[in-house]
Amino acid sequence: MLSLVSRRVHNSLVLLVLATLLCFTLVVSAPGNIAVLIAELRSPNASFADIQKIEEELGLNDPIPVRYAGWLTGALTGNLGISYKTGEEVGPALASRIPVTAMLVAGGGTVALLLSLVFGFAGAMWPRQWPDVAGRGVALLGASMPSFFVGALLIYAFAVELRLVPTFGLAGPSSWILPWFTIGLLPAAVLSRVVRVGLEEAMARPFALTAVAKGLNRRAILFRDALPNIAPTYINALGAQTGVMVVGAVVVEPLFAWHGVGDLFLTGIRFRDFMVVQACLLIFISFFILLNLLVDIGMIFTDPKLRRQGS
Amino acid sequence: MSTSSPILTVRDLSIDLFTARSALRPVDQVSYSVAAGETLAIVGESGSGKTVLNFAPLGLMPLGVSIHVSGSIRFDGKELVGMNDEALRKLRGGSIGVIFQDPMSALNPARTIRRQIAEVAELHLSLTSTQAEARALDLLKMVRMSDPEARLRQYPHELSGGLRQRVMIAIAIAAEPKLLIADEPTTALDVTVQAQIIALLKDLQKRLNMAMVLITHDMGVVAGIASRLAVMYAGRVMEYGPVQSVLTAPRHPYTMGLIDAIPRAEDLPGSTFRGLPGMPPVLGAPIPGCAFVERCRHAVPTCETARPLLAPTADRHVLAACPIVNRSSEALHAG
Repeated sequence: MLSLVSRRVHNSLVLLVLATLLCFTLVVSAPGNIAVLIAELRSPNASFADIQKIEEELGLNDPIPVRYAGWLTGALTGNLGISYKTGEEVGPALASRIPVTAMLVAGGGTVALLLSLVFGFAGAMWPRQWPDVAGRGVALLGASMPSFFVGALLIYAFAVELRLVPTFGLAGPSSWILPWFTIGLLPAAVLSRVVRVGLEEAMARPFALTAVAKGLNRRAILFRDALPNIAPTYINALGAQTGVMVVGAVVVEPLFAWHGVGDLFLTGIRFRDFMVVQACLLIFISFFILLNLLVDIGMIFTDPKLRRQGS
Repeated sequence: MSTSSPILTVRDLSIDLFTARSALRPVDQVSYSVAAGETLAIVGESGSGKTVLNFAPLGLMPLGVSIHVSGSIRFDGKELVGMNDEALRKLRGGSIGVIFQDPMSALNPARTIRRQIAEVAELHLSLTSTQAEARALDLLKMVRMSDPEARLRQYPHELSGGLRQRVMIAIAIAAEPKLLIADEPTTALDVTVQAQIIALLKDLQKRLNMAMVLITHDMGVVAGIASRLAVMYAGRVMEYGPVQSVLTAPRHPYTMGLIDAIPRAEDLPGSTFRGLPGMPPVLGAPIPGCAFVERCRHAVPTCETARPLLAPTADRHVLAACPIVNRSSEALHAG
């Protein structure tokens, strides 16, 4: 089992190095001269000499491998360069925004986890009865509405009409609820179907009949026999949906005026602030690789066949 | 044969199955009884209703099938037909243990052997989890597993087919049932392992004084373990009696054909199998006469119209559902 985990960790590290290379290449090959942009930002009538001076400052004339090495060593120490737009360091700006996005995704993930287990399990417990039908309906709605629309609906209902929670901003638990539900509804919909369908499939397998022959009731069979069998599938889907939520943060953060990484990324793209875009991409990709690693390890732990491999 | 009164008595049991598309009667007016310490073997070809007969009244049917049971099943002084689900559930795994055909799929791949055995003892014997796990160890010793402590920590995929079937048996006897139903317990196993499992079942039955119903199509297994035999065809019992009498001197033409079809040591290599010509009838439509009539060499016109009932033969311990047998034994040999 340990060798299996260490192999996965090793693969992830290789992937991470390749990802940094990709990030770097994307920005290097982006059209337009960054030095011109910066020079124009500093003074509207910059001369050619000014531009050349900035190119020299940024090290744009160095050979590509040297630039990559410089950027990578910087990134490792948290120095992600200077924003072309604001002139501030990207590192600290990013560091202050990561907790916001992390809190959004973690909250949305919790919402998705709880809703999907409750709805999926209720549907499997009473198939084709009202809990199943209701769960299916909510899942269909959740999966077909884009998050900006869900967010707008939630704001209208709970903030504007009922005045239970603030419409936007980040100030205390009451302001967390709407963004969490907005970002968590789609994953909850998808995952509840994973639970519902997975449990139904498990209940049709011969070991479920063995459990009936043991005299267990339906709830016990679902919990003890069916649930452990869908755990690897569920963890896999949960990982994929967490990825979806990170992407969703780009939409949901501006909607609720949360200053997270998604919001930073969006403004970065809008102003062609490549240093910021590059740094955000690096954070996103690192997170995805880490997520995949965690999913792999989670599957190894929940699937006895995988767990015993290589041990 | 046992002298004690039967613990299981089945009378005129009929079962109708309704799926979304079809209605079938896989069990048609079946009667038999089993006493404690006795083994009844039910044989018949695939689709003859032997599994449905035993599992449907216990609520052990796949999803999406609705059943209607009529007749009577008296088990341990209680009537099972029409019993409410909750009472039936308490019997399953408690006083009635079940062994399935395929130990590869009947165990849960995601749970340890320990938990899969122990939960039965927790449920039916009201043991704590520690006590139940100690009992799981005892049970593995009882089914003669090598290295039982290590086995408890393992998962089904780490065990061979024979070992998994031993685990299945341990689960079935965990609450010391009065009746053990084994559905082709050796069919999915290697020949050498089959003999071990049959010997184990025989031994456990003696130790726990269980009644056992063994569903099989292996005549070797029948001869080795059963005391009584019911031969089923198209959902009906064709012949019923002590194993020795039925196997050595079959009365019913179907039983004769079934026993004749077993390959023999003196068969020359390459000789053709002796099978029964024709196919079993479709169970969707009612069969007015004898179900075997189309494949029977001895059939007379009344066989088409009047259903023969089980009746004592010349040997009064053996019952056969065939009028020809009882009219004269010469009629058979002349045919």
